[in-house]
Amino acid sequence: MSATTLDRVVGTARRSPTFAVGFGIILVFALLAAFADILAPMPPTLSHPYETLKPPGSGPFLLGTDGNGMDVLSRVIHGARYAFGIALPAGAIMAVVGIPLGLIAGWRGGWVDEVLLRVLDVLRAFPTIILALAIVAATGQGFLNVILVVGFLDSPIFARIVRAEVLALRNATFVRAAVAAGNPEWRVLLVHILPNAILGATAQLPLRMAWAVRISATLAFIGIGVQAPAPEWGAMIRQGAEYVISGEWWVALFPGLALIAMVLGLNLAGDGLSDLLDPKRRATGK
Amino acid sequence: MSITRFLLRRLLVAVPVLLGILFLTFMLVRIGDQDPVAMLAGPMADAPMLARIRAELMLDQPLLTQFWGYLTRLVQGDLGMSWQGNAAVTKEIATHLPATLELVTLAVGIGALVGVPLGLHAAERPNGWFDQLSRFGSLFGFSLPTYWLGLMAIFVFFFLLGWAPAPMGRVSMMVTPPPVVTGSVLIDSILAGNGEAAWSAASQLVLPVGCFAIVATAPIIKHTRAIAIEVMGSDYIRYARACGFPRRVIRRIALRAALVPVITFVGSEFTSLLAAASLIEFVFAWGGLGHWGLNAILLGDFAAVQGYVLTLAIASVIIFALVDLIVLLLEPRARA
Repeated sequence: MSATTLDRVVGTARRSPTFAVGFGIILVFALLAAFADILAPMPPTLSHPYETLKPPGSGPFLLGTDGNGMDVLSRVIHGARYAFGIALPAGAIMAVVGIPLGLIAGWRGGWVDEVLLRVLDVLRAFPTIILALAIVAATGQGFLNVILVVGFLDSPIFARIVRAEVLALRNATFVRAAVAAGNPEWRVLLVHILPNAILGATAQLPLRMAWAVRISATLAFIGIGVQAPAPEWGAMIRQGAEYVISGEWWVALFPGLALIAMVLGLNLAGDGLSDLLDPKRRATGK
Repeated sequence: MSITRFLLRRLLVAVPVLLGILFLTFMLVRIGDQDPVAMLAGPMADAPMLARIRAELMLDQPLLTQFWGYLTRLVQGDLGMSWQGNAAVTKEIATHLPATLELVTLAVGIGALVGVPLGLHAAERPNGWFDQLSRFGSLFGFSLPTYWLGLMAIFVFFFLLGWAPAPMGRVSMMVTPPPVVTGSVLIDSILAGNGEAAWSAASQLVLPVGCFAIVATAPIIKHTRAIAIEVMGSDYIRYARACGFPRRVIRRIALRAALVPVITFVGSEFTSLLAAASLIEFVFAWGGLGHWGLNAILLGDFAAVQGYVLTLAIASVIIFALVDLIVLLLEPRARA
């Protein structure tokens, strides 16, 4: 790493410690996900039938074993794969669907805007968690389904963010100048508005991803979506739920901590990112 | 505009949204691969029997016909039968709703009492140490899964310390529950003068309400802070400062201006927690509306799912109307 790059990293971290901490957490989980096979002491679904519910620190099981005699530590590490498995594609869907939708709705108005606003009305009155639950329950289990549902459900919300940015830019002098100079509409949108509108939206992306990770874990906890021996954090908490009352706390505790850390990392990164992109914003509270 | 006319207009505007939600839910539960007929009939049923049940439930007709039938019965106050409980959905909602309202009202109440002062205090010195602390705290609260928090609280306070009662419902099974008046076991016990039941109900409430309140507080802190900072930066506050009013007076003016958006936010918080309650109810076997609705979704109990979603939507319409009403009373400008 060259000195200038290092300076920039340190500079960024100093300007927004929140972002630095959040980004650091995400990086750790990214490494865990990438090298899970090497880092995890044993395969995540390897069952030890005579070693069920061993407390942390017994023999090779650093964080204990669950009711199937599977190593909790290995399962928590592999769970990072599910977290990124939902965060990245759901984030991609939100961006791919939400950005064009928000651009058109904000710029053109008309029926696209009208439909988007009505959908948002329904989403506001219809709790997303219940909607996600009902859709996944109806359309069938499976991780792919969860990804699609979470991604598409959040797209209108992402579109609203882009739309608000576009509305704010619509009458800016540089946009009017671009129109007056005879630029075609698509060029004004893509070259002049998009780069400016996307800044605010970028800061929201990690926050929406945090929501995606949280909601997919919630679905798994309820027993919908990813199913139990798969090392998904929500599904692991579900497995651990029945042992909490008899005192075997470690089965539910550790996947929960991992989930909180991951979601917190994304939330911190998103919150810090909006500081970095717009330093004035935080001080004025907007 | 008179208040009744205002409320009436609010409810009329809500009708298309309610219809949209209802239609969405109606289609959603039916396009799935959940088949309630097979479940109702049991494993011994043969094809003619399945067909007969299907016809009885009108599930063999076109979807739009079914929806129209549902709407006509809905207007008459009939939400259909819940198959899992074999009871009218309206009756099920009436028995389950108070438990959820009790939980959510207490959690949001505590959240507002704690969150609003914290948010106001954080806004006094933006980016000061207290502000940074509250920012981290609220982001942390955002990241906590309620159900996990509930499980950990059960482990610590029930299993380890033995302070809390077993997380099984709203009142201990050893206690005779009071006659139902309001539906809140706590209030009903007090009304009936049943001290034992009141104590049991209160102790059953502590853990779920505590966990839920932590999650409710986080967004309230964040939004109150943002609102207060905006108010403090406004022209009229700057003018008041320039006039040399004492801090106390300026604070009072700012508080009054911030109150309206804060109340609006707390209202929206209430509606979203009404749905989120299903998870904490699930963990504590609470038997409220959320728990009931969750089971309905999992079991494919069509009429119950529709009733549940409709109740949530109507609740949100009522709450937003109430919030607007409060704003109307507090804010003379909105009356114009």
